[in-house]
Amino acid sequence: MDFTLASFVNALILGLSIGSIFLVAALGLTIIYGTAGVINMAHGEFIMLGAYASYTLQNYLGVPFFLCIPLSFVVVALIGLVIERLLIRYLYDRPLDTLLATWGVSLVLMQGVRLIFGSDPKYIQMPSFLSTNIAAGPISVSIFRVFIFLVGIGLVAAVWWLFYKTEFGIKLRAVTQNKEMAASFGINSGQVYALTFALGAGLAGIAGSLFGVLNIVLPTMGMGYVVEAFLIVVTGGGALLGSILASGVTGEAQSIFAYIFNDTFAQFLVFVLIVIFLRFRPQGLIATGGARR
Amino acid sequence: MEKNLYHNRLLQWLVYVVFFAALAVIPLVMDDAFLLNQLATYGVYGMLALSISLCWGFGGILNLGQGIAFGLGAYGMAMTMQMQTQDPEYSPIPPFMLNNGLDALPAIWEPFWNTGFGIALALIVPTVFYLIFGGLMFQARVAGPFFAIMTLAILSALATLFVDLQPYTNGVNGISPPAALDIGGFVIDPYMSTSYWVVFALLVLSTVAAKLLTQSRFGLIVQALHNDSERVRFLGYNVAIYETLVYAASGLIAAIAGCCFAFLTQYVSPAQFDVGFSISMVIWAAIGGRNSLLWAIIGAFLVQGAQSYVGDEFLNSWILILGFSFILIVRFLPGGLGGLAETLLGMVSRKRETQESLTVGAGEPETRGA
Amino acid sequence: MVGVLEIKDLHKSFDATKVINGFSLAVTEMTLQCLVGPNGAGKTTTIDLISGRQKPTSGEITFREENITGLSEHEIARRGIGRKFQVPAVFRELTVRQNLEVAYNRETSAVRNMFSFKPDGCAKRLEEIAADVGLTERLGIKAGTLSHGETQWLEIGMVLMQDPAMLLLDEPVAGMTEHEMDKTVEILNRLKKTNTIIVVEHDMGFVRRIADVVTVMHMGSLLAQGSIADIEKDERVREVYLGTEDDEESVH
Ligand SMILES: Nc1ncnc2c1ncn2[C@@H]1O[C@H](COP(=O)(O)OP(=O)(O)OP(=O)(O)O)[C@@H](O)[C@H]1O
Ligand SMILES: [Mg+2]
Repeated sequence: MDFTLASFVNALILGLSIGSIFLVAALGLTIIYGTAGVINMAHGEFIMLGAYASYTLQNYLGVPFFLCIPLSFVVVALIGLVIERLLIRYLYDRPLDTLLATWGVSLVLMQGVRLIFGSDPKYIQMPSFLSTNIAAGPISVSIFRVFIFLVGIGLVAAVWWLFYKTEFGIKLRAVTQNKEMAASFGINSGQVYALTFALGAGLAGIAGSLFGVLNIVLPTMGMGYVVEAFLIVVTGGGALLGSILASGVTGEAQSIFAYIFNDTFAQFLVFVLIVIFLRFRPQGLIATGGARR
Repeated sequence: MEKNLYHNRLLQWLVYVVFFAALAVIPLVMDDAFLLNQLATYGVYGMLALSISLCWGFGGILNLGQGIAFGLGAYGMAMTMQMQTQDPEYSPIPPFMLNNGLDALPAIWEPFWNTGFGIALALIVPTVFYLIFGGLMFQARVAGPFFAIMTLAILSALATLFVDLQPYTNGVNGISPPAALDIGGFVIDPYMSTSYWVVFALLVLSTVAAKLLTQSRFGLIVQALHNDSERVRFLGYNVAIYETLVYAASGLIAAIAGCCFAFLTQYVSPAQFDVGFSISMVIWAAIGGRNSLLWAIIGAFLVQGAQSYVGDEFLNSWILILGFSFILIVRFLPGGLGGLAETLLGMVSRKRETQESLTVGAGEPETRGA
Repeated sequence: MVGVLEIKDLHKSFDATKVINGFSLAVTEMTLQCLVGPNGAGKTTTIDLISGRQKPTSGEITFREENITGLSEHEIARRGIGRKFQVPAVFRELTVRQNLEVAYNRETSAVRNMFSFKPDGCAKRLEEIAADVGLTERLGIKAGTLSHGETQWLEIGMVLMQDPAMLLLDEPVAGMTEHEMDKTVEILNRLKKTNTIIVVEHDMGFVRRIADVVTVMHMGSLLAQGSIADIEKDERVREVYLGTEDDEESVH
């Protein structure tokens, strides 16, 4: 392998892109975990549903790609809402059981999609201008990766605005900090949790419609994302800022290791490093006030 | 004072004897080699469910990555079997390595020339792996859902690693040793009743060992820390060591299961590290009853038995049904079928007690993890 | 005389709030020292710091001339310090007997405990202590089904099973009836002949009946120390403490 400066800069840029993909994948999970403490193992399948929603909208109804993204949000958010009302809300005080139940949900969703759409890969088309590369000398980036990066920034900004600038955000933070106290101020924590869960699911839906373009759409595509997304949340410590930092760091690490070794070994190395990191800092990069573990 | 027959230690051992006696009768009345091989594979699943029950139901440590020990054990055994068919003089290198461009046997393969050494490694490597990983995590007080996720992460990392190390592991194709395992002349032919007996013996052995572990003082302390690990520290016990050891003990059982799997199927591949398969182990234990070693084994038998009964044709719908039943069990019946039995027996015992106003049982204190 | 337990200039802050503020204390062997003070004075935090549940921001704790600052909970417990929690902490899913058996910690090695089924001397001691704390009849039931008072007793019994050189008891009589309190007084007065004890307590009536030395904490520092008579005369104690004592009585 030739260690030229250009190829190294390319690796750094790719790392940024990988980080933004991690972040988009982990955003919904961070919100659900950070607010309600729910470990949602079906998060990967929510991403998968987002991809299938986009695929269906595009292929059967001819909806343009840019419209598919927000519509996937709506579809998956609604599915998330239903699941929260039917199942999750009974399990808020049983974290291990929530994990297991959502795992069951993930199994059912994956299998349901397989029964409806089959196991063969599907493809989401993107507008042609997104499929080109921008090049500056020896450095080149695909426009679609830049697009994901920008969407990532946009989503973070939107979530931040929602959390800190709206009435819902105030309620949400109140419930996160102290459920009983919030209840005494007349805040319906059940409602807040339900909406948060739907929001987190919807964000996974957006991730799905993007990842469906990046990779092929398969019923099993969620499996890979959920572990990575969780590592981001755990490494970050559960807060929004933590997840942003953690995705940046792991994205870069992954890209640089891949540059030195190869992709799979890079992934292995990153996982091992996270384990060692957690040994010394179990609360994650940014410790959230009330430690949940 | 409440006395539930389910908690009677003597009766529990009696039920174990009856259960295993029933399993021992099977090969005497059946001589379909293919079916016997399949039943032996169920024994492997039973061991895995047992290991999950020990770790999760008894120790409170949810382990979603039991495939780590299972896979490492299976690879170790397959490597041993592979090397039995190689010859130091004429064919020192397994064919797949030649195809992958290796011209010397990799150093990590060398110990597997010796069968005893190879099998020992197949058991020691996963156990030591669990000791190190568990030690790191439990000392950092990573617990509950976080630990579960970390096991999952390590599992998927290992799966990618084994695919990646193509020249050493033959990648996704895996290793298929051409001959049955031969331990000093004792050949364990997968399609003879010997293989069934070996798996049976190991299942009995690990069940009894696990059961004794739960009834020892170690087991008592583990029960206590499952209840409130914080409190146990102040009694002078090093909680991390206890947790690590339960986790490693369950890993050892899974590694034994992995070895059995390898000689039963004469095949091993990264599919043994599949996340889905590790999920299944948890589902078996959950449906059978995670709090009971025996019921977890029964859970594995029931689920896998039903799965092969419905056949490949309806596999998709079957998995859907399985997913739904898993959700329902978690939501409404956390004790699984064993929990149901416990409740029913409790009701019967109470009724009998009030009718005859007699105290039932040998007076031993009740134990969890029947 | 040098104390068995010596605390020197202890500080503890949670984020920005200073909870323990230069607290020092020396506890003499075979005495019963009561730690009193208004709500939030930092009594429980002090117990947490001694037993290793919290790590001090600065300061030093020595026990039997050994620096135990920063040791982990089990290491401190093994050196002979047993504690009872303010909110009784027992193993609810285990039987009363099993709770006491777990507390019998002569052997803490995990590996050796794997091969041990009935520890020597446990059964005899268990019967004695169960009788002492009045739980003989209750040995077979789950600890989660005990009444609040019985749970307090069980936790005291667990500390006794440990047979520690030093006992840290955080509000042992909260929620007990008059009769149960008498019993506790009797047990503590017997124990202090052989053990060193720190009792955190609000109820001055109870303190009067057991204390050799009383230490008053206020806002994380030592306010006064002396015999119960000295303390009751102390002007500063009156100021910070007596105002709240009435509220406390109404809680009990
Ligand atoms: N983990 C913590 N994080 C932040 N603040 C804490 C923590 N633990 C205790 N505090 C604060 O420290 C102060 C002292 O608490 P502590 O429990 O030691 O008081 P106490 O004297 O035992 O009171 P009480 O009589 O009510 O039991 C309180 O203001 C409490 O809010
Ligand atoms: Mg207190």
